Amino acid sequence: MKALIQIEFFKLFKQSRTYLALASLFCIELIILGSAYFQGKNILDMLLENLQKNFYFEGNLLNGNLLVYLILNTQWFHLPLILMIVVSGTLTTEYKDRTIQTTMLQPVKKGQFILAKYIVAICFTLVSVLFLALTSFSLSYAFFGRGDLIVYLDTLNFFPASEAFQRLLFAFLSGTLSMIFFSVASLTIGVICKDAAKTWIVSAFFLILSHLLLKIDFGNTLINTLFFAKLSDTWQYFFQQHIAWEIVKLNSFLTTGYILLFMVGGILLFTKKDIG
Amino acid sequence: MRKYRLIGLLIISSCTFVHAQQHDPDLLYIKSRMDSIQSFSVDLTLDVDIDFINMPTKKVKMKYTKNKPIRFSSEDFVMLPKRGLDFTLNSLLSYSYITVPRGEEIRNGKKYKAINIVPTDPNSDFSIALLLLDISNMRIAESEISTRKDGTYKLLMNYAKPTEVLPTKVEVAFEVQRIRIPFNFMGKDTEINRKKMRESGYKTGKIYLTMSNYIIDHIQ
Repeated sequence: MKALIQIEFFKLFKQSRTYLALASLFCIELIILGSAYFQGKNILDMLLENLQKNFYFEGNLLNGNLLVYLILNTQWFHLPLILMIVVSGTLTTEYKDRTIQTTMLQPVKKGQFILAKYIVAICFTLVSVLFLALTSFSLSYAFFGRGDLIVYLDTLNFFPASEAFQRLLFAFLSGTLSMIFFSVASLTIGVICKDAAKTWIVSAFFLILSHLLLKIDFGNTLINTLFFAKLSDTWQYFFQQHIAWEIVKLNSFLTTGYILLFMVGGILLFTKKDIG
Repeated sequence: MRKYRLIGLLIISSCTFVHAQQHDPDLLYIKSRMDSIQSFSVDLTLDVDIDFINMPTKKVKMKYTKNKPIRFSSEDFVMLPKRGLDFTLNSLLSYSYITVPRGEEIRNGKKYKAINIVPTDPNSDFSIALLLLDISNMRIAESEISTRKDGTYKLLMNYAKPTEVLPTKVEVAFEVQRIRIPFNFMGKDTEINRKKMRESGYKTGKIYLTMSNYIIDHIQ
C-alpha cells in the first residue's frame, strides 16, 4: 500500500499539469491583488458610502487581511475546479494511456490501487490549500500590510488584525474539507466516466450545480442542513461576529461523512467495474 | 432738537435690546470658558451601537488645537463620529448667530436652561440647534443640532466633576442609512432580506465616547 501511494505521488509530481495548476492558482491570486490595488478603494468607498456622512475613517481597511478574505471568496470556486481537473486526471490518463491495465497485471489489488489515488488526491488538496494560504498571506501582507478586517455578511463586521488572522486561518482549515470533498468527488466521477473530457465536464457541472444549489432555499430545514451543496460555505461562519461553532462542527462532520461516502462509493465501483 | 435726541436715544436703546436678544449671556460665558482652552489631548474609547455594524471597542488618541483640525492617532481602524467631538463649540458658534430663549427643561430631575441657536450666516452647516445649559456649573449638558445636509444629531454630555468644562462621557445619537447594496465582492452568498431593507431606511445610531487622561493647555 505504501509503495502504491509513493508511486501515485511520483506520478502526480512528475506530470506538468500539477505545476500548471499551482501556477494558475498563483496567477489568479496576482490578478486579485492587482485588481484590489487599483479598484479596492472605490469598492470600499461604495460599501461605506452611507457611513461616510456620519463618520471619519481613520486607518487602512484595504489591507492584507481583506485581500486574503477576497482571495478566499474567489478561490473557493477556482481552486476546486483546478483540483478536480488535476485529481480526476490522475485516473483518466491511466485509462487513456492504458497504463491501468499494465498496473492491474501486477500483483496489485484494485481496492488498494484506487485507495492510494484517493489518499494522494487528499494530500494534493492539502498541499494546494497550504500553497494558497502561504502565498495569499505572504503576498497580501507584503503589499498591503496588516489591519482590521471588514466583512459584510448581512451586518458590517469589523475584526481587529490579530483576530482577523485567526479567523482567516480557521476559514482555510474549514475550506480545506470542502476542497477535499470536491477532489474526492471528481475522482469518483473519473471512476464512473473513465474518459478525461467527460470526467472534466461532469466534474465542472457538479461544481457549478453545487454552487447554484447552495443559494437555493429548499424550504425544508433537514435538506437545507444536510444536503452536501449547503455545506461548502461553512468557512463563512468564521466571519460572523459570533462564530456558530455548533453549526461549524455539524457541517464539518457532515462534509467528512460525504467525503467517506464518495470515497467508499468510488472504491466499490472501481473494484466491481471492468477496467477495460 | 429734543425730538432728534429722543429718536437717537430710542435707536441706541433698541440696538442694545436687540444685541441682548442675539447672544445669550450664559452661552457667551460658557463659550469664553471653552475659548480659554488653547489645546487638549485625550484618550478616547469608542463603542458603536448601530444595528447593522458590529465593531469592537476602539481606542484612539485625540489631539485638539484651537483653530486647527482635530488629529487622531490609533493603531487600528476606527470610525469616528463627524459630530460630537467638538467639545469647545467652535464649529457651532463660528458663524454669526442669534439665540432664542426656550425656557427650562428638566433632565433626571435637574433643571437646565434651554436656548435655540439660529445661524444668520448662510454658510453655517446647521439650520438650528437646541442647547441645554447647566447654569450652576456653566457648561453644556445636551445639544440637538439639525444640520443642513447630514440630518439631526444629539449629544448628551456627562462630566466627572462639577468644575470640569470638558466632558468625560458623550453619547452621540444620529440618523444613519442602512447599507443597501448586495455586495458579493465582499461577502459571498450574502442574504438580502428585502422586507428588512424596505422597513429600514434610516436608523438611529449611537456612539458612546469615554474620555480619559485629559491634558488641557489653557491660554495664559
